[in-house]
Amino acid sequence: MDGAPVSFLKRVDELSGSSKVRRSWFAFACAVFIIVIVVPSIFVVTKLFTDWGLVDSVINNDGIRDTVLSAVANSFSIALVVTVIDIVVGLPMAWIMVRKDFKGKKWLDTLLDMPLAFPTAVLGISVVMFWGAPEGVELPGLGIVVSPYVMMIFLHILFTYPYMVRSLSAILEQIEPNFETAAMTLGASKWTAFRTITLPLFRAGLATGFILCFARSLSETGGTYIALTMMGVESTFFTGPSFISWLKSDTSVYSADEMMGAQILISVIMIVLALLLLVVVRKAIAGFHIPLKKVWPDLGRKLSRGPLPKAKDVLTIAFLLVVVLLPAFYIFMYLTQPIPDIDYGVLLGSIATSFLVAGVAVAVDIVIGVPMAMYIARHRDGKLGQTLDGLVNVPLIIPTTALGFSLALFWGGFGLSESFALLLVILGHISFTYPLVVRNLIGAIEEVDPAYEEVAMTLGAKPFQAFRKVLFPIVKSAVIAGGILAFTRSLGETGATTAISNTVNTVPIYITKLVQSGDYTEAAMCSIVLIAICFVIMLVLRLVTSRRSGRDA
Amino acid sequence: MARIKLERISMRFGDFYAVRDISLDINNGEYVTILGPSGCGKTTLIKVISGIWRPTEGKVYVDGMDVTDIPMEDRDVGYVFQNIALFPHMSLKENVAYSPRVKDQGDEAMESLSTEYLELVGMLARAGMFPDELSGGEQQKVAIARALASGSKMLMLDEPLSALDARVRVELRYELRRLVKKLGITVLHVTHDQEEAMSVSDRIVLMRYGAIAEVGTPLEIYRRPKSVFAANFIGETNLLECTVSDKSKNGKTKLKLRGGEEIRASKTDFKVGDPVVISVRPEHVYTATDGLEAEVTAVVFMGTYWRVRTTAASRDFVEYNVSSDDEVPSIGDRVHLVFNKKAIVVFERPRGGIEGEIKLE
Repeated sequence: MDGAPVSFLKRVDELSGSSKVRRSWFAFACAVFIIVIVVPSIFVVTKLFTDWGLVDSVINNDGIRDTVLSAVANSFSIALVVTVIDIVVGLPMAWIMVRKDFKGKKWLDTLLDMPLAFPTAVLGISVVMFWGAPEGVELPGLGIVVSPYVMMIFLHILFTYPYMVRSLSAILEQIEPNFETAAMTLGASKWTAFRTITLPLFRAGLATGFILCFARSLSETGGTYIALTMMGVESTFFTGPSFISWLKSDTSVYSADEMMGAQILISVIMIVLALLLLVVVRKAIAGFHIPLKKVWPDLGRKLSRGPLPKAKDVLTIAFLLVVVLLPAFYIFMYLTQPIPDIDYGVLLGSIATSFLVAGVAVAVDIVIGVPMAMYIARHRDGKLGQTLDGLVNVPLIIPTTALGFSLALFWGGFGLSESFALLLVILGHISFTYPLVVRNLIGAIEEVDPAYEEVAMTLGAKPFQAFRKVLFPIVKSAVIAGGILAFTRSLGETGATTAISNTVNTVPIYITKLVQSGDYTEAAMCSIVLIAICFVIMLVLRLVTSRRSGRDA
Repeated sequence: MARIKLERISMRFGDFYAVRDISLDINNGEYVTILGPSGCGKTTLIKVISGIWRPTEGKVYVDGMDVTDIPMEDRDVGYVFQNIALFPHMSLKENVAYSPRVKDQGDEAMESLSTEYLELVGMLARAGMFPDELSGGEQQKVAIARALASGSKMLMLDEPLSALDARVRVELRYELRRLVKKLGITVLHVTHDQEEAMSVSDRIVLMRYGAIAEVGTPLEIYRRPKSVFAANFIGETNLLECTVSDKSKNGKTKLKLRGGEEIRASKTDFKVGDPVVISVRPEHVYTATDGLEAEVTAVVFMGTYWRVRTTAASRDFVEYNVSSDDEVPSIGDRVHLVFNKKAIVVFERPRGGIEGEIKLE
């Protein structure tokens, strides 16, 4: 190694010995978190008071008001239906992933996460092609005519289901399997043991999964808008975010003031309801008890043995294949079609923009997220720790369209507008990816006994050295996992980007534009190129990190 | 009534036999401990008996009935886990009433059984509390009450005391024995603690490498172990390599140590010239004016007595006890040691040497 970075690290090591330096570093991370992430995310709420006139005129205009309200109602009811389906089908899937051992489990494990790596705009195209028969698409789909509402449910299941299974699996893994065994030696059938022991212990995971899926469905823009466009109903059927996208794409319908008022109203309603939800769901699930004390041993036995449990497993896997995986991968059918002319210059340019945004956002997330995660993980009982823990979730549950709109208003107030569009987009992406990185890290750091670092320091290590050489290598895989999650999430984001700027051309925006002009084949090919690049990068990242950790060991 | 009979039980995981070809009879109301070093297959054995695992080969009989294929929820075997596993979201009362509840025996049975068994373990006063409000020992008492409330006539205890403090461990084990004897329940108690096994069981099953090494009452195994392994694993002992040097007409045997010193033992079946190992416990070694010469290397106070460690002229390490009230030698002193002839146990010398024979894993 050359001298310069070593001496730099050494200086940081030395500095970290002073508690003043450590405290100011944490204060800095907190300040960045509050000023750059939290405040801009909810800034729009203040507009309700400062620009009440705009909002008031929208409320008094029956036409817009009803459209806005029905859009918000659609958003929430779709999110609710999707989340309930996710729970019902996700529970047995989590069970299979955690408690069963079979050949090909690793494959299933990887397949499960695949839809997360697809930009939602791509999923939107793929799902409509698979289930329906949209005009202008040459490929045969199932040709089922469903209402836009049902189609949105099919679509939203795709990118929420993996979150649900992951959250439930994480909790299931922490539940002592001996509890079930103990219940069974006491005479409970498998089904009864699950209902009376495991399910009640599940509540925390259920709350997390519920909030994650609900928020994800609520805020999804790109896929929803593309799917609605392909179905030809983008100007008649709205969800909250798709309404904002539509407003931006067609400025001829309403006046500028009406548009601003409508956007403020929708954003505020969705932010407030989403925040309320966070509190209410937590409380409701924590306080929820299955009221049923009674047990039917014979029924339990019938449900635990013979064909029923098998049927349940088969149905679970079938659901994953037919409702999640096939529709997601259906876009690859376009590979059978003659390859269209793609403007590779524009495509590569948009890919470069996407990667720049995602890369910078993730790097910032990690740098300012690590001290935050460490503090929260180690100060769970303190007031500040709990407050920060709650605040970190805020950008996660705010619909990204509303978040983007709010952010643009906030920084616009400082004179940062179109000319700084790229910077603003990056700031927006930092906001909604930050919780993903920090959540993952908190989980990992909580698992690590603080004694490791303490031992390192009794052996003479400075705090930063102890972090670098002891804690970081242990939680490295969680940092990488969180980083990948955040990166793919940023890569696939449409809503926040459109809400912030009309000029920054990321890949999902480019694909959306192609779909709007009816170039489905081109859009599909671009999607395939993007997916291919994503997979290569993820593969390389996995290879590099696994080799690195192999050598370290 | 619960008589357990195991017939040629094997449990294989892939190519590895956790338990191999075990046959065993356990009488009604008997308290049996399964003792052995970690990884010897003792927990596997009770998991097979309770139906948590199905053996790859062999059969389990309870009261003459083949139960090998009966699933665990219908076996009626109480099982107490090492990590206690009380249901964290239920009160103590709900925990103990769980078995009558899932068997749908009705509210009255739930009430009376939970009261009865919580009373029995002395925890009735805290029936409304939750598991995390109790100490480890108290939790384990409730876990035992929960297992007993299932009405089961046999109880499997999987290292039930090993997660507890030393003091609590000792108190609880006598409590445990008193309880199950009062109820007349058949108990299989798995432990790696030989002292625990000695003090509670009617019979000890000593296991090693997935097989039964030896079975006997604690006193039998302590006084007359049948193998060098058992002699070393149960209690403390001195092992010395010898050769049979002479035998009298009535079978009394004389042995020669490695250094050539001769010692006397009682009757054996060995022939002159046989290579053997003798086991003699520290409490059967005394100092005298004549005998095996040894140099004191350490003196350790054990609480109620002194343990003196020596290196004998035969290059064997020999330890003996001195009462805490008596004078002890200093390090470097030379002493003469004699063995209680009747307490010497003579074994065939294992082919792999003593070290290989007493290895724990």
